Amino acid sequence: MWADLARVLRLWAPRRAALAGALLVAMASAMSGLAILALAGQGVAAGLAGAGAVALLALRPLVLLRPALRWLERYASHAAAFRALADTRVWFFRRLAERMPGGIGHRGGGDLLGRLIGDVDALDRLYLAGLVPGAAALAAVLAIAALLGAAPGLLALVALPLVVALLLPPLLAPGAARAAAETAEARGALRAAATDPLAGMEDLLAAGAEERARAKLEEADRRMMAAQRRLARRGALAGALGMLLGQAALLGALSWGLAGGAPPLALLAVLLAAACAEPLSLLPRAGAALAFAGAGARRLFEAADTPPPVTTPAGPAPEPEDATLALEAVEFAWAPGRPVLRGASFVLRPGERVAILGPSGSGKSSLAALLQRLRDPDAGRITLGGVELALLPPEEVRRRITVLSQHARIFDDTVAANLRIAAPEAPDAALWRALAKAGLARKVEGLPEGLETRCGEGGTLLSGGEARRLALARALLPAAPILVLDEPTAGLDAETERAFLQTLAIATEGRSLLLLTHRLTGVEQLHRAYRWVEGVLLEAPA
Amino acid sequence: MESPADSRAARAWLMRQVRGRIAALALPVGLGLSATLCAVAATFLAARMLAAVLGLALGGGWGDLALAALLALLSAGLALAGEETQLRAGEAIRARLRGEGFARLLALGPADRRGVGEKAVLLVDRIEALDGFFARWLPAATLAVLAPALVLLAVASFDGRSALILLVAGLLVPVSMALAGVGAARESRRQMEALGRLGGRFLDRLRGLATLVQFNQAEAEAQALGRAAEEFRTRTLRVLCVAFLSTAGMELLAALSIATLAWRHGALLGAGHPDPVAGLFCILAVPAFFQPLRAFSQAYHEAMAARGAAGDLQALLEAPHRPGLVLDTVPRRVALAFTEVTWRPDPERPPALDRLTFAVAPGETLLLVGPSGAGKSSVLRLLMGFGRPDAGRIAINGQDALRLDPAELRRMTAYMGQRAHLFAGTIRENIALARPDATPAQVERAAEAARVLTFTRDLPEGMDTRVGEGGFGLSGGQAQRVALARAFLRDAPLVLLDEPTAHLDPANEAALLEGLSRLVAGRTAIVATHSPILRGLSPRVLDLGALARVG
Repeated sequence: MWADLARVLRLWAPRRAALAGALLVAMASAMSGLAILALAGQGVAAGLAGAGAVALLALRPLVLLRPALRWLERYASHAAAFRALADTRVWFFRRLAERMPGGIGHRGGGDLLGRLIGDVDALDRLYLAGLVPGAAALAAVLAIAALLGAAPGLLALVALPLVVALLLPPLLAPGAARAAAETAEARGALRAAATDPLAGMEDLLAAGAEERARAKLEEADRRMMAAQRRLARRGALAGALGMLLGQAALLGALSWGLAGGAPPLALLAVLLAAACAEPLSLLPRAGAALAFAGAGARRLFEAADTPPPVTTPAGPAPEPEDATLALEAVEFAWAPGRPVLRGASFVLRPGERVAILGPSGSGKSSLAALLQRLRDPDAGRITLGGVELALLPPEEVRRRITVLSQHARIFDDTVAANLRIAAPEAPDAALWRALAKAGLARKVEGLPEGLETRCGEGGTLLSGGEARRLALARALLPAAPILVLDEPTAGLDAETERAFLQTLAIATEGRSLLLLTHRLTGVEQLHRAYRWVEGVLLEAPA
Repeated sequence: MESPADSRAARAWLMRQVRGRIAALALPVGLGLSATLCAVAATFLAARMLAAVLGLALGGGWGDLALAALLALLSAGLALAGEETQLRAGEAIRARLRGEGFARLLALGPADRRGVGEKAVLLVDRIEALDGFFARWLPAATLAVLAPALVLLAVASFDGRSALILLVAGLLVPVSMALAGVGAARESRRQMEALGRLGGRFLDRLRGLATLVQFNQAEAEAQALGRAAEEFRTRTLRVLCVAFLSTAGMELLAALSIATLAWRHGALLGAGHPDPVAGLFCILAVPAFFQPLRAFSQAYHEAMAARGAAGDLQALLEAPHRPGLVLDTVPRRVALAFTEVTWRPDPERPPALDRLTFAVAPGETLLLVGPSGAGKSSVLRLLMGFGRPDAGRIAINGQDALRLDPAELRRMTAYMGQRAHLFAGTIRENIALARPDATPAQVERAAEAARVLTFTRDLPEGMDTRVGEGGFGLSGGQAQRVALARAFLRDAPLVLLDEPTAHLDPANEAALLEGLSRLVAGRTAIVATHSPILRGLSPRVLDLGALARVG
């Protein structure tokens, strides 16, 4: 856990000035809080002697300074945390693009992505709930040490409990981390108990198993709440400990005075201990914050440290001769023992239109992943213009082979921005041409804001068929010589599907086309078709 | 941005959930008040000891010290108990809402357009967000009024004017929150939402990472994300710097109270204070006075989050729901008739079924054929109660089937859909789901008939292999055979099969035909299929594509 947190801090190193600055402000703010109570108490106690007037006079600027410092502390710490967090997000994004180019949740694992996002956001707790209060409490303890240094016995009585409180968060963090991990796990189990029946709703209802699913959900709920209770109990215990230690410091100071210690010094110590109670009582709970941040960091780094799925030999890559794409006895499995391709071979010559036919879920999408070099085959070769794909940098492969995958994402942005992801420099005219080929131009023309209409998250503001056609238009934009369409007409109604497939030959003129589909309609104008049978491709009459 | 009316409605809904659980929610408040009482007593003892140390008053010695230590232990125990009870208070409410919400989602059935992820968020995360309201905000809001009042009473019993000073400061807290806060709070809430949107953009782009990588745009997007975050940060901080003024306002009031009290009692001491213990007590009690107010302002955002969640849940739980008729017994034989049935599940598309009329006699098997999109699945889905037709009549044994509760339709039916779902568990459990009281031998026979055993023989743990989430991945065809085994086991008078052999190669398909013939024999059955092999099941064929072409 500590190694992970240290690594987070190293990621934040470019922002160290802002982060450290806010910590200093937090320390100043804590000391001003001490000073107010100390001076006020001194003023009252020394009222007789007249020295109290001086103390009360000094109190006036502090009354204004303390709120100002508190404000500055919150502002500066949030400003620094926002910066650091934004950096972390971008870092994480880059790493995932490099290490998980096929996306997270490519093979299930539904909520992993959502959890990772939560984990990035939880990292601010490390700073805002861990380091900032820690620095404030440290400042308070140091100030007390300086002020009471003259009386070592008093110092020991007051400072010792405070130092223990200061050490509590790191001491309690590992236990809290375990409890937090159990809670997260129980929550994951609850989510699974909710997701599984919802995902299989038809089968569940068909089996009349509603009550049994509900009982399972309730059981998972009970377990999660029990885990939450254990975690909360730890937090509460830490809070109670912090309070007790604050009280111990206060009573220590009083006992020193009762035992005959110098009254002014005893008074000062009592007031300092009382003023310390607040910053210190927050501290033990910082252990939980550290634990959460640590667990989050662990998961983030696990995802970010996935070894890159493909490596490319250094040095200049050979230039492919042409756009001939060939598979030679390719074998591939996502996981050992569960082969998807078992010696598949085929050839796609420049300008040809070829279909691969197979039932959904048979592994056609895995082939699309191999053709983008998201992975390399376990055995056999894929060649492009005579050059093995594994020798070409992935970017180069993707420039020559455009894939419309089944999971092509429509981003929460405008129609134009979604299209320009494929070709950032494309002029509007090119966008319109692509939309026309995908049969979407008339629809977009009819939208009040045309190309600037927003699509919604995942394209939810479009109908399913429209979103699919937009993805198709995007795939048609780049000038790649090879186009791979993975179930391009899924979600289109029968009429649109026919119209689209009929125009496919014209839309992809001059390029090679590989169509991955579960059935043919007879209008595709293919040169050849293969049937996908148990991971092998058998040539079938087109 | 939620309107004030929405916010009020959400709050009212939340308070309705509390009804009947007042005792559970009052306990943490009571414990909190007791802790405040302990703190006040300990403060008084500290003031008395301090006065003694300073030689200002008599009394206050080691006895006080021991008593104060006891009080510290007591209030630590009270704080522990308080947190425990807070947590428990919300648990029962959350568990009830979760169960009701789940039942509601199942009652809405597959017709509900929300995605699985969205539904799961509703059941898990939205309900968790309510905990902030029940476990933290409610007690904190109550204590923010009662606990300072208690401190005030204690102070008043020593010195009326000091109490007055604290009272004024306490009353100014909401005023300062209002002045610096409310306008800014609304603005900052908007900004917090914008922060959520920024996180949303990050999530959106991460979800589409594969698409970005494919077009070599990942690096460009990383830079764009950085710029968006930077721009957002500058705007947010401008707003937060106002919002944080409410914190500063509270600090200022606390500091002013201390200074004023110090001035009052310092001045009195100068003139020979009548009661030094009271003077010291008044000052030392200030933190105890402001602490509940601080806790309240910290819990404030939890209430906001809970209100947002409450809106979503209220929409689900209070949606109109009409229960249908319930059957006394499941009929042994089923006759079916569709009369002019029209169904348009998606208003943006042409109807899935357009004035469809047909009848199936008891014991008869009807094959539904026609191209994809002709409405084969729609017929089966209507019979399963997964949707209601917009017009027309569906009769079962001459009675209007639409008046039945959808669950009643399913009681008389064995159904296999196009996409078989395997639940987390063993293959055996997945089959037994269809009839929990089935004997092991019956499950085995169903597995045999659906040709499940042909592939489980090759699995290391056979029928006890774990499948579904986190388990062994079966192919589409294998999953479909497990679903078919459920249909065999179900032993219902009406059998509905949607493309039962879609994922099978011809050899397996032919082998399955015999089992299917046994399944439909003597039962009323509708089988949607593309397969020429399955034509052997029955001479009775309804071509939905031909119907559409005619008109």
